[in-house]
Amino acid sequence: MDDLLADFLTETNESLADLDLALVRLERTPDDAQTLSLIFRLVHTIKGTCGFLGLPRLEHVAHAAENVLVRVRDGVLAVTPDTISTALSGIDRIKEIVAGLATGGNEPAGDDTELVAALNAVAEGRGEAAAPIAPPPPVRETAPAPVAAAPVAVAAAPEPAPEPTDATPAEPSVAGQTIRVGVDVLEDLMTLVSELVLTRNQLLQLARSQEDSAFSVPLQRLSHITSDLQEGVMKTRMQPIGNAWNKLPRLVRDLAHELDKRIELVLHGAETELDRQVLELIKDPLTHMVRNSADHGLETSAERRALGKPEAGRIALNAFHEGGHIIIEVADDGRGLPVDRIRAKILSRSLATEAELAAMTDEQIHRFIFRAGFSTAAVVTAVSGRGVGLDVVKTNIERIGGTIDLKSIAGQGTTFVVKIPLTLAIVSALIVQAGRERFAIPQICVVELVRAAGGEGTAADRTESRIERIHGTPVLRLRDRLLPLVSLAGLLRLEQDAGAGEAGQCIVVTQVGAGTLGIIVDRVFDTEEIVVKPVAPILRHITMFSGNTILGDGSVIMILDPNGIARANGIAGTESHLAETATRVAVAQSEQRTAMLLFRAGGTAPKAVPLSLVARLEDIERDRIEVSAGQPVVQYRGRLMPLVALSGTLDTDKPRQAVLVFNDIDRALGRDRCMGLVVDEILDVIEDRLKVELSGDRPGLLGTAVVAGRATDVIDTAYWLTQAAHDWFRAGQKSGGSRLARVLVVEDSDFFRNLLVPALAAEGYEVTACETAIHALRLREAGAMFDAVVSDIEMPEMDGLAFVRKLREGGAWAELPVVALSARMHDGEMAAGRDAGFTDYVGKFDRAALLASLGQCLGENVHAA
Amino acid sequence: MHARTCLVVDDSRVVRKVARRILEGSGFAVREAADGSEALASCRTALPGCVLLDWNMPVMNGIDFLKALRREFGPNPPVVFCTTETEMKYVEQAIEYGAQEFVMKPFDAEILLGKFGQAGLL
Repeated sequence: MDDLLADFLTETNESLADLDLALVRLERTPDDAQTLSLIFRLVHTIKGTCGFLGLPRLEHVAHAAENVLVRVRDGVLAVTPDTISTALSGIDRIKEIVAGLATGGNEPAGDDTELVAALNAVAEGRGEAAAPIAPPPPVRETAPAPVAAAPVAVAAAPEPAPEPTDATPAEPSVAGQTIRVGVDVLEDLMTLVSELVLTRNQLLQLARSQEDSAFSVPLQRLSHITSDLQEGVMKTRMQPIGNAWNKLPRLVRDLAHELDKRIELVLHGAETELDRQVLELIKDPLTHMVRNSADHGLETSAERRALGKPEAGRIALNAFHEGGHIIIEVADDGRGLPVDRIRAKILSRSLATEAELAAMTDEQIHRFIFRAGFSTAAVVTAVSGRGVGLDVVKTNIERIGGTIDLKSIAGQGTTFVVKIPLTLAIVSALIVQAGRERFAIPQICVVELVRAAGGEGTAADRTESRIERIHGTPVLRLRDRLLPLVSLAGLLRLEQDAGAGEAGQCIVVTQVGAGTLGIIVDRVFDTEEIVVKPVAPILRHITMFSGNTILGDGSVIMILDPNGIARANGIAGTESHLAETATRVAVAQSEQRTAMLLFRAGGTAPKAVPLSLVARLEDIERDRIEVSAGQPVVQYRGRLMPLVALSGTLDTDKPRQAVLVFNDIDRALGRDRCMGLVVDEILDVIEDRLKVELSGDRPGLLGTAVVAGRATDVIDTAYWLTQAAHDWFRAGQKSGGSRLARVLVVEDSDFFRNLLVPALAAEGYEVTACETAIHALRLREAGAMFDAVVSDIEMPEMDGLAFVRKLREGGAWAELPVVALSARMHDGEMAAGRDAGFTDYVGKFDRAALLASLGQCLGENVHAA
Repeated sequence: MHARTCLVVDDSRVVRKVARRILEGSGFAVREAADGSEALASCRTALPGCVLLDWNMPVMNGIDFLKALRREFGPNPPVVFCTTETEMKYVEQAIEYGAQEFVMKPFDAEILLGKFGQAGLL
């Protein structure tokens, strides 16, 4: 009887989906005899069928639900929200049992007596007693009782036993012109057709090279048939988007109850078809958006009345085709996005500065709601605001190659616009070449193509798109923005053809999250429709590729994932550079306006350093510079100050040297030390936003910023301080054998990280910084090793306690000393921290304590310089 | 053994399958229809030897089908009316419109064939 059970499950699931819709419809139009008889019939069928299969639990519940419906149908019972809620809770239980049946093959164990009693109570007209059982507690006692109002009014007039004699033929017949085909069969067909298309393309390419071959005519026919076949098979995978909307009326109805709002759901374009794979993936994001609109978007009935709006809020879904894409709009006529609240939130989370906000349009501010963890609901309700926010929706939509945007007008409502591809199986892609390999880049990721002139950029040709190479790291100044570049051939370590060098390179500008990334390729071919094939499991961990495909000439090429490339370039890189890169990525976040000292050293391009870090500017006569143990030093304020030349060597010809003096006071040890950075020329002091655009992995540089309209290297003072201190130490103590202690700093706040990293570096530690614990764990997985870890307690995603527990669980870092940093120093928290596995616990501002603690933790085996 | 056709009219695929197994096991050739109008079309193509008829179906319910069947084809073929205990009141109506026998859901081979026997269909 197993195939009977399978049939039963399919049949029942279809009925259940229809039931939800019908019950919600009934609540709105309680005297709709047709809907009533449909509901009755569906429940009746379920009940009637489960008797054949020996499903007593299901039969019992279905029977009780049917009892309620019979009485409604016969006009004995009025359609009230109570009745419907109880009936729905019966349907929910049926769903549960059916789901259990589908997974286990048997009815799951459970007790339905309470529910059945509630259903019977309603059936016998004792509805009040049954109320607490219903999952969405019906709103009662609230004076305006908005949802109940309409149905109650009609309750008096249902005609007795409405016999649906004039049943319209609108109901589709179950066993009519459709047959059921397993999804796997369709998937197989799709794969086979893809193969056929590729083979056809190969044949066509062959035929093209042979003029008037006897094959050309039949080949032409084969080609046409293949195209038609492909189209036909594609169609079998298409489903109306209405299938993804089935659950929404019920959802909205329950939400309306829960939130005490009146909500009208309008669905347009439910017949719009799209690939079932896309349909599956879009279901959850859509549900979430509707939830969001109901909860955050719409006002309560009272608020709406006061505003003179219709009491019932409206959520409208609209789907339509537009140029190979499906557009889905989710619109509400609610209050619109609260710009002020979003602004406050942005500031409190320091996602942007006040000055930046002032320069932003409302639309730009609205878009912040797509950022992670961004929920503006003043009160966290049960419905949304549970941390799973629009950022997840956005991520999910982007994962299938879609985009999401929004329009919001205060007081009039918000509209989300989702654009998704019709299918994931065939995409339009740009074919490019790097080295001797070809690659496909999905068209939806491509923003524009830029051809860059070769050679070094100079100030004179700022208007032209040029690749500026700053210590080997390429950037492109594109319309006054610095576009980070990555060379595909370099990244994949492809063999470069001779001559494919600097002379005119193609840059594919791709969308990566909110930013852009330029991918340098050697050649750009055409746009082609390609059939996406999944990456083989053994290659799946390489995130740079999203799949592969076969071109017309039969060659297999990889499909690039720009997001993966950005990740690979930003963090992964080569493993030996991992730690370094992490530091620089982490430190390069500051966006405040900063006074920058511009200077020149080694090369014509200006370099910059935040002025606040420079203690003094000195002009030192060449004669005063001495050399002690290989290290240039100068007598400065009664002691020897080490000098480091930024350009690498001291220019001994110059009579005077410009020196930036950096000073660092070590209170713990009661000494004060300084070092001098020798530069060629001090240019200017400029107040500008220090927005480090790109973190190069070159030692001594934080990255590159546009300062006064020019790409300028921003130097990493921490690095240079260490350099001097390091050399100084070695020169003085001659203890060349001991290595520097390596410390990992895990801290989400830019401010504290920027405070800590130079401080520790100046103390002679080799410092690596991470923004999140997750990031730190990734370093661990990558095999990075440290002597100690300093971690913040309060961090997003994974806090310090969870982080240290994770470390103690095992792995290479299990035994490392881990020092906690906390803004609060309660005894309780300290105890919790020690329990979790922290070695020591120090206050955030207590640098001396931190240094002392680190010194103690690291003991004698390794030394800070 | 007799070789008669039985038209099974029920909107549930599961019920149709169950009935088919029982009846085929007893020597019937079984045809299926998912609602009254499909059943009527099927009868117009070829009149079956008997009909097992569900009451509650979309498009055209059992009673309406029965009325149309009798109007169009007279007293034959015999009809076994199928229902559940909540719809007992329709049994009377069905007999009135010319059903030979009625059977309660859920049925098994013994019950169904028993009813068919009583109706003189075996």
